[in-house]
Amino acid sequence: MNKIRILFFALLRDRVGTRVLELDVPEEMTVRALKDKLASDHPNLKELMKNVLVSVNQEYALDETILPQGAEIALFPPVSGGSH
Amino acid sequence: MDTSNLPTLFKITEEEINLDELLAGITLPTTGAAAIFTGMVRGVTKRDDPHETVFLEYEAYVPMAEAKMKQVAEEIRARWSSIEGIAIVQRIGKLYPQTPTVLIACTAAHRDTGVFEAARYGIDRLKEIVPIWKKEVGPNGEFWVEGDYIPKAGE
Repeated sequence: MNKIRILFFALLRDRVGTRVLELDVPEEMTVRALKDKLASDHPNLKELMKNVLVSVNQEYALDETILPQGAEIALFPPVSGGSH
Repeated sequence: MDTSNLPTLFKITEEEINLDELLAGITLPTTGAAAIFTGMVRGVTKRDDPHETVFLEYEAYVPMAEAKMKQVAEEIRARWSSIEGIAIVQRIGKLYPQTPTVLIACTAAHRDTGVFEAARYGIDRLKEIVPIWKKEVGPNGEFWVEGDYIPKAGE
């Protein structure tokens, strides 16, 4: 098993109701599989998953990215800093 | 050109943005121009979807946001070798209309060196890849503002 830390920001955090989740996941799990698991554990995340950004150890990741051991994952909406 | 000695300042802060201090930090003996952009909280929006804003609440994934600000600065230097100093600051927390929320400043020897374009590039990139979000609170409720840029892996 691989113990990972998942951080949620903005709307994702509001929906999950927590900033941080520690999770044991299978070895060699992909970002896509993690998103599927989170959507099934937290049904109110499901509709957001299409547009969610995922970082792995603070770098933007692909759905195919494999989660490294002890990774810090973050899920968040497209960024909206600065001003319009 | 070795740019490692040139001043690059970046920070996420809850404090008021201090322009004079930042400018002093990116001014060299050879500096003769600074282009400064600052984004503010707009209380009354007239364009597109007209509405009023009571306040904005900013949050950041701080360590990643600082790393991405550093990356934006490196991208600026790769495109405009004339740039001397770069400062990028995002203020987070609850911010009211007429308050600066973000500042990017670039310095160079002269103004015709790309210094305006460099600052423009910096703010545009910040809004694409630096993980910061804002919640807009208005008279009739609140909502998270979402960007529309999807970064590539490793970007």
